[in-house]
Amino acid sequence: MMVNKKQIKELLNESACTHNEQKKSSCDKPKPGATSGGCAFEGAQIALFPFADAVHLVHAPSTCLGASWETRATPSSYEGENNTYLGYCTNVTAHDVIFGGNKKLEDSIEYIIEHKNPKAIFVYETCVTAMIGDDMDNIASRMEAKYGIPIVVVHAPGFVGSKNLGSRLAGEAVLDKLIGTKEPAQIHPFGINLIGEYNVTGDMWQYTPILEKIGIKVVSTLAGDGRIENIQTAHRAKLNVIVCAKSLVTLCRKMEERFGIPYISVSFYGKRDTSNAIRSIVGAFKNEELSRKAEEIIAKEEEALESRLLPYREILQGKKAILNTGGNKSWSIASALQDIGIEVVATSIAKATLEDIEIARQYVPILIKSPANEQAKLIDEHNVDILLAGGRSLYTAIKKKIAFVDVNQEKKISYGAYGGLENLAKDVCAAVKNPVFRVVGTPAPWEVSNA
Amino acid sequence: MLKPLEVNPLKLSQPMGALLAFLGIKNCMPLMHGAQGCASFAKVFFTRHFNDPIAIQTTAVNDITAVIDGGDYSISEAVKNITSKVTPELIGLFTTGLTETKGDDIRGVASMLQPQHAMVYVHTPDFEGGLESGYAKSIEAIIEQLVEPQEQIEQKITLIPHVSMTPLEVERVKEQIELFGWSVFALPDISESLDGHLGQKQGALSSNGISVSQIKDLGSSHAVITIGNSVYNRGEKLCTKNQKMKHLHFDTIGGLKASDIFYSKLMSLSHLSQPHASIMRWRKRLQDALLDTHFILGGCKVVLACEPDQMLSLSSILTEAGVEIKAVISPVKSDVLVNIPSSHIIIGDLDDVEEFLDDHTLLITNFHGERLAKKYHNALLTRGFPNYETLGNQLKDDTLYQGSTQLLFEVANCMQANHHI
Repeated sequence: MMVNKKQIKELLNESACTHNEQKKSSCDKPKPGATSGGCAFEGAQIALFPFADAVHLVHAPSTCLGASWETRATPSSYEGENNTYLGYCTNVTAHDVIFGGNKKLEDSIEYIIEHKNPKAIFVYETCVTAMIGDDMDNIASRMEAKYGIPIVVVHAPGFVGSKNLGSRLAGEAVLDKLIGTKEPAQIHPFGINLIGEYNVTGDMWQYTPILEKIGIKVVSTLAGDGRIENIQTAHRAKLNVIVCAKSLVTLCRKMEERFGIPYISVSFYGKRDTSNAIRSIVGAFKNEELSRKAEEIIAKEEEALESRLLPYREILQGKKAILNTGGNKSWSIASALQDIGIEVVATSIAKATLEDIEIARQYVPILIKSPANEQAKLIDEHNVDILLAGGRSLYTAIKKKIAFVDVNQEKKISYGAYGGLENLAKDVCAAVKNPVFRVVGTPAPWEVSNA
Repeated sequence: MLKPLEVNPLKLSQPMGALLAFLGIKNCMPLMHGAQGCASFAKVFFTRHFNDPIAIQTTAVNDITAVIDGGDYSISEAVKNITSKVTPELIGLFTTGLTETKGDDIRGVASMLQPQHAMVYVHTPDFEGGLESGYAKSIEAIIEQLVEPQEQIEQKITLIPHVSMTPLEVERVKEQIELFGWSVFALPDISESLDGHLGQKQGALSSNGISVSQIKDLGSSHAVITIGNSVYNRGEKLCTKNQKMKHLHFDTIGGLKASDIFYSKLMSLSHLSQPHASIMRWRKRLQDALLDTHFILGGCKVVLACEPDQMLSLSSILTEAGVEIKAVISPVKSDVLVNIPSSHIIIGDLDDVEEFLDDHTLLITNFHGERLAKKYHNALLTRGFPNYETLGNQLKDDTLYQGSTQLLFEVANCMQANHHI
């Protein structure tokens, strides 16, 4: 079995995670019958699939990939065949379970190299292929030697843990096999890596042109609009920027130890956070000229945004909202809502980490621990106009006849950075103006009114 | 070199078929015995397809229980945790590739838990079969483990739909049979659970469907009607519960001829010489639709890539208007494939589909076909799982006179629209 127990333990007890300073237990094991959320394989897939120039080969029977390919909107500017949206699966059958899937894996790799000519291949280990003990590392290193492209095995079978752990394991694989394997033609004085930014709905493209205008160079990304060649040179960047997702903090800590690259953590949701993120990145270089340029561009961007937001502000000013979502969204979206003039009465922290709760406290007066019990009451008490939550809360909004915005649904449009804030304002305005929630809540003619 | 892998897979797994079967049972908790991701992927997949919440739980097998537990611990823990929060009328336990590789004795675990909890168990490894077989195996398990043997028959019919039938199709077929004077019970019945209705609140269990007590009582059906080759044997299985029960089987109920056979058998079963007036009206509309659309559809080339039973049904409608089935790409083997008139019948994936595409072809497949349609400028009709891009999938109907009529118009319009680009 190639799953590395020591590595998993280390990742679960990451010293850079706040919660590990406070409690003895590490990230929890999933509980049978009371678990939601994806597995480690899914986490690895999320982290690495945005590398569009690499083929992602899933060594598994049909569920793992059959139900999960072409599901995430992570656009790429890659001009070759975009492998992010394609599904490659060894389709392990009963025969392979008995006799092993080594041959099939080897043939598949050869087929891919011959027909697709990728820049690299990621091979994903899954539960069944971990159980039958296929020797993936051996095959990968032989194929790598034969064909001269990186073939990276990602040991994140679903049963080792959650999505978060899987992203960490993917990060480890990239660190061990790719980062530092190539030297760049030039070393940029203000080069950064964007870590944990997957360019969902093009979020990243909302702010990278601004960074470039200031004079910051994005050396590589893990892995939004990513390229294998760039991540190989990531060790020559001067700063690692963790964008929202905390799962790759271990990778950044190790890169600091190994290559002396410091890291910072930022969010690009909302006006204030975007400006602060830019300032933190620029500030890390301690270069006066760069800082001056940044302030100039921030001022220009903010001014332009404010004038674009005016018509929305007129509608949203003074509106009250409750936010019920998870993780860093519990504060990042709150901050963005405040930036468009909405009073955020309360936010749910039911699915947030200790670190996120600390930050949320600084933005929002009331933190909701149990949304199911508290949400409806808070709507009445504070005369709330808008509920932003997952689909599960739709019924509450309809009952209370207030506007509803589904913030957990797979979004199709970016809410990132300055441009994204305008999109968010547009969407919230549309919900506030839409009569649909009151229409749907109308009782049927044959129903006795409860009012 | 024969392609050793799947590129852009069409195949959906057995546990996903099992999940759909259990979602058609009222107040059921489908419990997938595997790692948490197996259930999570399936949940997200069907939530996005139906635009509705999907009830499912997982036994959350981890790297330790994968090795030292024979299923006893993780399954009983899961049942304990589920029943501490909700009271399901049935727990539908089904396995995955992971737990079948381990070789868990789910029968043993189920019999240990069954005194306290109503439970059906079924083996559905994802390294065998596909969506149709996982669904059919689950129906078999439900019949075997729940339906009580009976000797008397009542004025009722059991309908067993194939896995690709939409909630509206199940409902319409039920209503058609009811028009002949029968009470109809569908096993499973997704027409009220996955039809996209606004309920009072979002429950943790399947919202509606056939109840456990109704399932237990299916043995008193006058007849069982199976639609789709993949569920044929389940009709035979139900007949073993009552010697008097008749079995009417239809590989397809798409198109004029197949619908004629369906209604004529229903008439003779019900001893009626004439069906309800609305049925007769829809037949005339279908005749007219065939004539109206044949100018466009005659000689049209269509590539099909869905589940086998659905492909047979679509092809039997379209070929009546002169459509030519250029190629059939099936995710799995099936006996019905040879009944589809095409010179290219392939077990494959969406990568294999590309070989047959050009701008004069209509492709009928799931939403993954959109990428292909952009690449080859072919017309596209989305059918089958998953469809994340268009809304209202649960209310499509391609069956009998009415559904066939509407499909013909939809396909003809789709071809026209593509030619005007």
